[in-house]
Amino acid sequence: MSAASSTSETPRRRFWRRLLRNPLGVFALLWFAMMAVAWLWPELLASHDPFKQDVTLQRLYEGPSGDHWLGTDGFGRDFFSRVIFGAGHAFRAILIAMTIAVGIGVPLGLFSGWRGGRTDRAIMWVNDVFFSLPIILLAMAVIIVLSPSQTNAMIGVGIAMSTRFTRLTRAVTLGEKEELYVDAARITGLSTTTILTRYISPNLLPSLIIQAALMSGAIILIGATLSFLGIGASLDDPDWGVMLSRSRVVFRQEGVWQIIPPGLALVVTVLSFNLLGDAIRDAMGRDASNNSLTVTKRTAVAPATAAHAEGDDVVLSVRDMDVEFPGQGGQVSQILQGVSLDVRAGETLGVVGESGSGKSMTMLSALGLTPAPGRMTRGNVRFDGRDVTSLTEKEWQRIRGKDVGVIFQEPIAVLNPAIRVGRQIMEPLMIHMGMNKADARARAGELLAEVRVPDPIRRLDQYPHEFSGGMAQRVGIAMALACEPKLLIADEPSTALDVTVQGQILDLMAEVQQRRNMAIILITHDLGVIAEAADRVLVMYGGQVVETATAGDVFYRPRHPYSRALLDTMPQSHDGHGELPVIRGMVPSATAWPAGCRFAPRCAFATDECADMAPELEVAEGTLVRCVRHHEIQLVPSGGNV
Amino acid sequence: MVKYVGLRILATIPLLFAVALISFLIAVAMEASGSIAGQVCGDGATPECIAAVEEELGVNDPLPSRFASWFGDVLRGDIGASLLDSNVSVSGIIGDRIWPSLSIVSFSLVFGVTLGMAMGVVAAIRPGGLLDRTMSVIAGATVAAPGFIIGMLLSWGIAVELGWLNPVGYVPLGESFTGWLKSITLPGIALGLPTVAIVQRQLRSSMANALQSRYVLAARARGVSRPALIGRHALPNAMVPTVTVIGFRAAAAIGLTTAVEIVFGIRGMGEMLVTSIVQRNVTVLQGGMLVVGVVVAGVNLAVDISYGFLNPKVRLDK
Repeated sequence: MSAASSTSETPRRRFWRRLLRNPLGVFALLWFAMMAVAWLWPELLASHDPFKQDVTLQRLYEGPSGDHWLGTDGFGRDFFSRVIFGAGHAFRAILIAMTIAVGIGVPLGLFSGWRGGRTDRAIMWVNDVFFSLPIILLAMAVIIVLSPSQTNAMIGVGIAMSTRFTRLTRAVTLGEKEELYVDAARITGLSTTTILTRYISPNLLPSLIIQAALMSGAIILIGATLSFLGIGASLDDPDWGVMLSRSRVVFRQEGVWQIIPPGLALVVTVLSFNLLGDAIRDAMGRDASNNSLTVTKRTAVAPATAAHAEGDDVVLSVRDMDVEFPGQGGQVSQILQGVSLDVRAGETLGVVGESGSGKSMTMLSALGLTPAPGRMTRGNVRFDGRDVTSLTEKEWQRIRGKDVGVIFQEPIAVLNPAIRVGRQIMEPLMIHMGMNKADARARAGELLAEVRVPDPIRRLDQYPHEFSGGMAQRVGIAMALACEPKLLIADEPSTALDVTVQGQILDLMAEVQQRRNMAIILITHDLGVIAEAADRVLVMYGGQVVETATAGDVFYRPRHPYSRALLDTMPQSHDGHGELPVIRGMVPSATAWPAGCRFAPRCAFATDECADMAPELEVAEGTLVRCVRHHEIQLVPSGGNV
Repeated sequence: MVKYVGLRILATIPLLFAVALISFLIAVAMEASGSIAGQVCGDGATPECIAAVEEELGVNDPLPSRFASWFGDVLRGDIGASLLDSNVSVSGIIGDRIWPSLSIVSFSLVFGVTLGMAMGVVAAIRPGGLLDRTMSVIAGATVAAPGFIIGMLLSWGIAVELGWLNPVGYVPLGESFTGWLKSITLPGIALGLPTVAIVQRQLRSSMANALQSRYVLAARARGVSRPALIGRHALPNAMVPTVTVIGFRAAAAIGLTTAVEIVFGIRGMGEMLVTSIVQRNVTVLQGGMLVVGVVVAGVNLAVDISYGFLNPKVRLDK
């Protein structure tokens, strides 16, 4: 499917195309088409009168034959014809129960979610009580009051199932209520009914359809169970549940075949509803979790063309790294293109760029942690003098945590909420240093003390949710430094924290660096942090390195317009009058890089040439810069007093 | 944790009260249609008999005071006598019938949860592999099959054709342990196979989410091995939504065991409830509903308590 046709197609058409390309969905649709014919014109399909008894002895409990394709039951009635007529019963059951379930559940959920507050809590409390009781039991309560029949059984099932629709509708309504367009509609004075029917219901519909498909399967299942128990459809009806209850009495004597025709019809119908529900969900593009579990297959990585930096003190050296993600319809988006970097012992390399420029991906991929389904397709990574480009997961496990420590942004999210903090700090110690539990625990306490967590021993036994962001980040640092790594990668280590804590965290890292001659890669979008801590700077944009230079050069003599634009957004470089400048536009998505220079659409200095020609990294007075105009434009910052 | 459990126990009281109210209202609804008195007086019901019975039932008293006196009896453990035979107490009938049902439901849950969890973890270890895909297909088909059909197939295949177990009947635990275990094995598996599929699917998908989380990425960056990532880091977190699903399934199994018991000719709660409906014996159905309500409340409590173990955040005290 080409990109052009998928963009011009309407959502409805895309939905049907996806649904019809799913073989399981098509199977379900075909089955329902067959059932619909059996419901509307059963005489067309049925070979016999389903009620006609043939009590001549050889006609009872017959197996499949030319005359009776699926054999006969205990009254000599044709199984095939009865199964066909059963389709109508099944649809009738769904119709009754679904009308009641949706008729009660959806309005109640809309009302509850829309009103909110005490009304909502009261309704949901009652709903949850009914929700937690077995559907069959609630149906039984209705049946005993109204007397047994298929209609009454289905009324009971419908009432019991309405709780599922109330929950779903309320959840969607609560979410939609907060949306801006609903606010706008309210302000313009539309009535609540209009808002609910015209604005919220359309958004509810997709989830409702999926739920209804799955619930239809459940209705068939429970309806059949009630009929099987003898408190649903009446005993002569060609209902699958009733047929099965007749078979139950005799299958041990007359053979298992008696179960098969109605049983199979029942199971395939329920299965088809489940498949249809899944297929609709997939076609709507709602299922994100299902395929993401797939482990990316190891594939060959094309070698880098450039040579690695020389010297014993080079800790990490990356050359020409490309990282790709499969996109929709077979397209590939290149997240990283030709990234190279070096960091030496005792040195801090700052990596800057806006969100989406590829900073974090560079670090993850260098450590073999490219998130699936992405993969490194080209390049070479050397760590501590060893080629680590194609290490297996097992080989990496001996390096990660030991020779390289990583501090992540979002300090709380990277701690496992179910495991005590102390255990998590002990992990690298026990894995890499061969410590036993007691030693690891003692060392973990020392580490927490080193990163100035007050009362460290008590803190070891706490869970992550008991930590503030700042304290959790100290835990993150303690874990990263636990095995005294040669390289520390710190990804926005201070972004989530307030300014005073930020400073403390950076000081702490600098202190350890000096003591251990450790290399640091500091990823940030905050140039203030770079100014404070970095020796050299790598500026990234659109998955490429656009400039690399010493920290001083980047601040006083930026050579790439993007570096200059970043500097202009710093509060320090601003004169305090007017608005703080921002870089206009946004980082383009990886599926739609501009053909020429990736920054050209947002660049104040761009010419026609920039839009056409993709620039390479060029050497310019000791720095590397990716800009065709770098020698002709003047970029010294306006403030210049950093 | 003690305080948390205490609060959860208190939280089940409203559910029990609501179940009692539903049970009470069933009887009221039936009285309103005159069917209870008609039932007691039999076919040749005279208006005098009906009036006398209605007087005795207190039909003409105001509803709140009737509920209060009925609920008071229930709290004292008196849930009345069978409508058809006033010498037979409902608690006596339930006392006989509940053990087979509880045995089958418990077996099915132990079977379903153990096997389902094992299969869910295996699916998460090699996602998209042959084993995972095979299990997905089997799980999809099993979820669609009602327990009573699986039960008939098992009874025919394992019991009748192979002769390994008895096709019908129940042996009380007090009589013989192995006999009891054998008698509930097939019904338990029949009820439990869909549970296996439900638990497997949920665990597979919540494991996928957990394995994609930031904390698993961070653990990989510390050099944690894959078995430890799956078992120590992902599983406890993936169990939280799975336990919820297990709770739903337990409640459903309590309802669905009725049909499975009937397949295996076991006189449990299922047969009792169905007979009470057919005979319109409302006191027995009321009693059955109350007992099921208590069991469901117990299941909810167990689910809540396991949240406390799995998710340290919900525990109140340290």
